[in-house]
Amino acid sequence: MKSTFANVVSSLPADYADLRFEENRKVRIVYEGKELSQVATTLTSGGHVRAYANGGKAIASFSDPGRAGPIAEATCASAVLVGNSREKKLRVADAPVIAEDFLITPPVDPREVPLNEKLDLTTHYNELILKNPHVITTNTVYDEFTSRRIFVNSDGSVIEYELVNVGIFGMIVTKKGNVVQRVRFAFGGNTNYTPLLDREADLEKQIAKACELLDAEPAKAGIYPVVLDPSESGVFIHEAFGHLSEADGLQNNPSFRAKLQLGTTLGKPILNVTDDATLPDLPGSYRIDDEGVPGMRTPLITDGVLSGRMHNRETAAEFGEPLSGNMRAVDVQCTPIVRMSNILIEAGDSSFDEMVASIDDGYYLVGAKGGQTSGDQFTFGAQWGYRIQSGKLGNMVRDINMSGELFSTLQATSMIGNDVAFGERGGCGKGGGGPMQMNRKSGKGSPHIKIDAVTIGGI
Amino acid sequence: MHPIIEAARQAVDQAELYWNRAHSISVRYENYRLQQVTENDVSETSLRVIKDGKIGSAYAVFPDQEGFLDNAVIGSKYGDPVQYSFADAADYPALDSYDASAANLTSADLIGMCEDIKTKIQSKLPDVALGIGAGLEATELSVQTTRGADAASKSTNVGYYFGAPFKGAGIGVYKFASGVRTPAIDDALINEFVEWYNWGNATSTPSTGRLPVILAPEAAFLMMMPFLSGVRGEAIWKKTSPLTERLGEQILSEKITIRENPTLAGSTDARAFDDEGIPCAPSTLVDRGVLKDFLFDLRFGAAMDRPSTGNGFKRTMFGSGNETATNPWFCCPTVDPGDTPWQDMIKGLDEGLLITNGMGFHSGNYPQGQFAVQAVGFHIVNGQVVGRLDKTMISGNIYEDCKKIAALSSEVGPCSGFLPIGTAPYIMIDSLQVAGK
Repeated sequence: MKSTFANVVSSLPADYADLRFEENRKVRIVYEGKELSQVATTLTSGGHVRAYANGGKAIASFSDPGRAGPIAEATCASAVLVGNSREKKLRVADAPVIAEDFLITPPVDPREVPLNEKLDLTTHYNELILKNPHVITTNTVYDEFTSRRIFVNSDGSVIEYELVNVGIFGMIVTKKGNVVQRVRFAFGGNTNYTPLLDREADLEKQIAKACELLDAEPAKAGIYPVVLDPSESGVFIHEAFGHLSEADGLQNNPSFRAKLQLGTTLGKPILNVTDDATLPDLPGSYRIDDEGVPGMRTPLITDGVLSGRMHNRETAAEFGEPLSGNMRAVDVQCTPIVRMSNILIEAGDSSFDEMVASIDDGYYLVGAKGGQTSGDQFTFGAQWGYRIQSGKLGNMVRDINMSGELFSTLQATSMIGNDVAFGERGGCGKGGGGPMQMNRKSGKGSPHIKIDAVTIGGI
Repeated sequence: MHPIIEAARQAVDQAELYWNRAHSISVRYENYRLQQVTENDVSETSLRVIKDGKIGSAYAVFPDQEGFLDNAVIGSKYGDPVQYSFADAADYPALDSYDASAANLTSADLIGMCEDIKTKIQSKLPDVALGIGAGLEATELSVQTTRGADAASKSTNVGYYFGAPFKGAGIGVYKFASGVRTPAIDDALINEFVEWYNWGNATSTPSTGRLPVILAPEAAFLMMMPFLSGVRGEAIWKKTSPLTERLGEQILSEKITIRENPTLAGSTDARAFDDEGIPCAPSTLVDRGVLKDFLFDLRFGAAMDRPSTGNGFKRTMFGSGNETATNPWFCCPTVDPGDTPWQDMIKGLDEGLLITNGMGFHSGNYPQGQFAVQAVGFHIVNGQVVGRLDKTMISGNIYEDCKKIAALSSEVGPCSGFLPIGTAPYIMIDSLQVAGK
């Protein structure tokens, strides 16, 4: 199949073309409360072709590999059509030609674990949650995704590679009177099955928080200083800054492109931010991206100054900046788009206690609960929080969303902790000009940080 | 019937085959320049079986894929007992969902639509980073069961959008139109886009406190998603919904009537049958503020001893498609209009907010009726828009705040966001909590 696809792209009258064909296997076990609602194995396959011709670009996805040839030819013709209307021609940066396979051999390979063991483990965790009398339902999910991909391009690269991601995650739902609260948990999130095991103590902590929240007060609306735990600050740097460091989002936005010139001071000298696909055993770790470029470490902010950016071959050429290996597609029918691998705020030298002690009236926000960004505006939620008054942690609070503007918030990041931690479940939704792609292979890490002012939505 | 249904009759008690085939073309302009043409030709299918009273499922690209039936049977060994049967043979409503000329549109035709939009806007807003897109999707969907259901549809969806971020900002104004047939390039829509874009040239931050808020149709999801999450049969059965015991009660303002309108004429999300092959039918969920009905699929309907309402869909808040488990979801939700011209709502306000979007909605506790979002829209002072909202959040609980609705507009627009395409008027809420200055 490799040689067939290689012949397809090499015979196209294109400036550059590539084709990715993948065979994916998903195993999903889902409990909803007591009910085992799903034990399913999914086998999907399909291809995606991209062509640059005459300075234009076109892409296509297809299910039937037998139609790869005619679809690639039609895609190339569409690229010519696009090029006819463009004065500024699109092109791709030079990249190494790679003929190598990148297969994955985790210490305990989830593909080798029998289905009944996976089911028993999921059942065990689900039953542990249901034992608590405040729990009214659960959503406990075993999620295993493996992908075997072939990538060929007109430069001569022929690569076979794998992606593996396995985790158990879910939601604990508790109720008392009219108050219903939800707390998340996640174990694993990388290629290895072992981190899914023996996590009862971690799960018990999350169950306890879901119960405590039933007696918590809603947050009060206003502008406050906050301390974010590593999970929250990981989401903050991912949502607020990370997406604006993905060059495909900046490519056609002149005002942000001007604001985000390399060398621009964005924060205090204590702030260092990196995207790193080479860190081992994290949700966003990989060897090769879906454009045939090796994953790598890319410093984004160094000593408070913008020092790098995440690219694909097209944006690297347009910006005149180095390749970063961030071009990724989540599934068969998706085109690759520029995405973070593992983004992190590097460790500083403040302690958590010092941060809390520095706040007269604010909040400590804990536990990522998703977020959304649009340009420099961001909003994200916390699973729970605590009031901080006169330098001390106070009562627990619930139902918290915070929002802000990137540039002023980065400048207001005044303390950075020494306790970097990564979340065990990746997750990022991005459209990139096409349908939303939900990427499980997206890592987020950070120490505790203090931000001097954000807007809290509440009562 | 597909051969796999015939094969399943020998191997399992019951089977259901869902098969979706789609051909799509889209073109995308960025900053007034044609950026990309995309053409997809994809198939996806799922099979559910009941064997020995237990359910199993499998997903594939084509129904004749090797191991498809076997994988579903293996799943059934572990599955829980089911209390329902797959759909029986039924008559389905006739929908005007397909247009042959739309199905034959080419990328050149779609580029032509975008060029028309570009020409009309460029003369009025030459210096903005305008994004434009146009697309066609032609879909064939079938649901067949061993109990005789044989539902099939063809549909076309042609649409366009345009929008631009405010200069130096991350948010902007976006408009779209879609239809079964190629929608005309609407001058009124373009003029509204230009007016709103110019409104946003200045920024303004209201004071912290309670203020009147107008939800534009595109922001109606702030009220609709919490409500619709609460009427899903799954939330009722699990008792996670605040509406569990409230049928017949006044839960919203008497001005509010909400319908599930799956056969809504002109909606590209309209459906004659759901993803389980059950006929779709309109229903009234809230009648003048009083809760009237819930939405069920086969599974949760059976759990509550109710028939399916034809609301079993492969959709969730963040996606849809083959691998999404069927669950009670809505199709074309609508809010009945009122009689106030929406621009009169603005003129009547000393101070208030016009909301066009709410960022971070999904992070909130919306299944309980709550929302706390970054407010995207405009600040109104003395009956005039004074600028786009900046550094502003709004929060509330629809079961408290939407009991006091000041007015509904006589105009309706497509409500989208997290919703399938339905319609809603401008909804003026007496007051919401605002976090600003």
